[in-house]
Amino acid sequence: MLTINHLHKQFGSVTALDDVSFDVPDKQITGLIGQNGSGKSTTFHSILNFLKYDGEIRWNGQPIKEADFDSIGYLPEERSLMHKLTIEQQIVYLARLKSKPAKEIRPQIDGWLKKFAVKGKKTDKIKDLSKGNQQKVQLIVTLIHHPKLIILDEPFSGLDPVNADLLKNAILEARDQGAAIIFSSHDMANVEAVCNRLVMLRTGEVVLNGTIKEVRDQFGKSEIYVTTDWTEDQLKQLPHVVKVQNIRGNRFLLRLDDPEKGPEVFEKLTNGQYIEEFSQQPPTLDEIFRMKAGIKHE
Amino acid sequence: MNKTFIVAIETYLRQVKSWSFIMLVISPFILLAISLGIGYTSATSSSDQQRIAVISETPALRKQFIKANQDDVKASVTTTAAAKKSVNNNKLAGYLVLSADKAKVTGVYHSTDSITNGMRTKVNVFLAQTQHQLNLANANLSSKQMKSLAVQPAFKQTIKASHGGANFAKIASFWILVFMIYMIMITYSSVTAQEIASEKGTKVMEIIFSSTKASKYFVGKILGVFGVILTQIVVYIVGGYGFFQIAMHLDNIKQLITDNRSLVNAIIKNMLGVNLVFVFLGVIIYTIISAFSGALVAKAEDAPKAAQPAIYLSMIAFFLTMPFQSNSDALISKILSYVPFFSSYFMPMRIINDNASGMEIGLSLGILIASILLLTWYIGQIYEGLILQTDDTSFWKRLRRGLAYQK
Repeated sequence: MLTINHLHKQFGSVTALDDVSFDVPDKQITGLIGQNGSGKSTTFHSILNFLKYDGEIRWNGQPIKEADFDSIGYLPEERSLMHKLTIEQQIVYLARLKSKPAKEIRPQIDGWLKKFAVKGKKTDKIKDLSKGNQQKVQLIVTLIHHPKLIILDEPFSGLDPVNADLLKNAILEARDQGAAIIFSSHDMANVEAVCNRLVMLRTGEVVLNGTIKEVRDQFGKSEIYVTTDWTEDQLKQLPHVVKVQNIRGNRFLLRLDDPEKGPEVFEKLTNGQYIEEFSQQPPTLDEIFRMKAGIKHE
Repeated sequence: MNKTFIVAIETYLRQVKSWSFIMLVISPFILLAISLGIGYTSATSSSDQQRIAVISETPALRKQFIKANQDDVKASVTTTAAAKKSVNNNKLAGYLVLSADKAKVTGVYHSTDSITNGMRTKVNVFLAQTQHQLNLANANLSSKQMKSLAVQPAFKQTIKASHGGANFAKIASFWILVFMIYMIMITYSSVTAQEIASEKGTKVMEIIFSSTKASKYFVGKILGVFGVILTQIVVYIVGGYGFFQIAMHLDNIKQLITDNRSLVNAIIKNMLGVNLVFVFLGVIIYTIISAFSGALVAKAEDAPKAAQPAIYLSMIAFFLTMPFQSNSDALISKILSYVPFFSSYFMPMRIINDNASGMEIGLSLGILIASILLLTWYIGQIYEGLILQTDDTSFWKRLRRGLAYQK
């Protein structure tokens, strides 16, 4: 388990991280979310020892040392490989730096290329691959040595839905093998789909921390999805409804001023009659992200 | 395997497998082969044109002349008709018809041009000697008279030993040495600086630094470049030896080297041994500083500019050496022979001029080696900070931040 305690990082007069504390447990996926400049990459760089920082970062109870580098798989935010090397040379070189012998890695390469549907042969040069395929090779490099701590900085950026699914499956597989995984993302759908836990940073401070359910439940079940013949104006007249949003056709999202008033709204709306949909839920992660980031809801 | 060596091997293989390295290493040999080929072709074609044929009805006489002048005679031409044809086709300078009766030896030279002075002397000497033997035989002399006539005049020369050759060897050694350091240094400074600058701020470095310590990576990079330098030096030594052996089969070059044997030996002696160590260590310290300046560029695109600081420093040292070439025991020269970056030029110069003691050489080497180790260690410590820095600030700001980086 990765434990971060009171992490603080200052760049000149700018506070990049302020008293950041959270855990990344084994066999779990932790999503690190936040706006651009909120401190996600700085957190990753601190974990990887690229920066001097105040506070404490421990891996299995010990400070991260050189010997732990072999158990870490890191995917940086921007993609970058050594363009003159072939796919095989690149994978083998970086795997050897993770103390994996070439003879152990070489036989696995074809399997990994197939798993990520990389278009190209292992003898192709990196520079001859498309951007998407280079990104997949980089993912292979991150995972091929079966790391115990996986740090992925924006792994889904630039991936189409098919490739994003390939990546999700690989992350879930690594989790099932026991790895502690932390990744940053702006796409809350991906976070919700794969994460067990969530940490949100805002200007270097932790504003959310917990399991997905804990985080969503913090906000109460203030939203109701209904499918009804009522018009938008009629819905606005309902007690405790502060906002109505037409999602599509006769499906609406009602926002309540008090989550406890859900049954009262149900009574008024149905009047004991059949209703196709009435679902009271906490806000989505996307909405929570917008709320916490201080961006006004559309 | 140690991660430093993994990086070193990767750097080494990537460099030696590149076309630029292969061209760099083989181009001098291609030039040498071309010049040797041209030299050989022109030597063989022109040497025939300068030779003569010897025709005689007395085989012993012809054989005697050829034995005495084998380099000047084309022995395969034996008839007047063949000789005439060769002369007309410009393949022979001329032909000499030798004849002898009981009292006289006669030589007639046929050519389109008059005989050269050298050849005229050789023919005259031969004819005179042969005529002399014939005269002695015809005179029926007693053995005492023969002995008396065989007495030759005496001629001796005494030559005072001159230092001209040794001085020339020193000057030649000095220039070869400084150019050698300068050329190798310029090449590898650019290679190293560009190699490191091209990685500046790239995310693949973040992957690498999440796998091994930056200091180990830096040392691995430097070791890889050293391997490349050593490979080039070894290829040059082995290839140079091979070409030397081939060249020794060419008469003109063999003659030139034999005539200047002591000079060639003196230059080779000055090039090898401790001077070669200074050359190698000099290239290493400049390579390290190039790696440092490569890591200081603002971004990978600025790689071509990266080698400039090391090249300027080397140019200063190179040009500073010149005024002291004939005055290597001057105080400044002595001081600079201990200062790293300068000592690789100045100490070999003092060694060539025989004004550095074993202790002084040892001290200078010690300082140079210690500087290399210290510099490598120090840059290794701040390397991560330098390489991961991507903000486009001024050079001095980057340098200051780089130097201040400590974990």
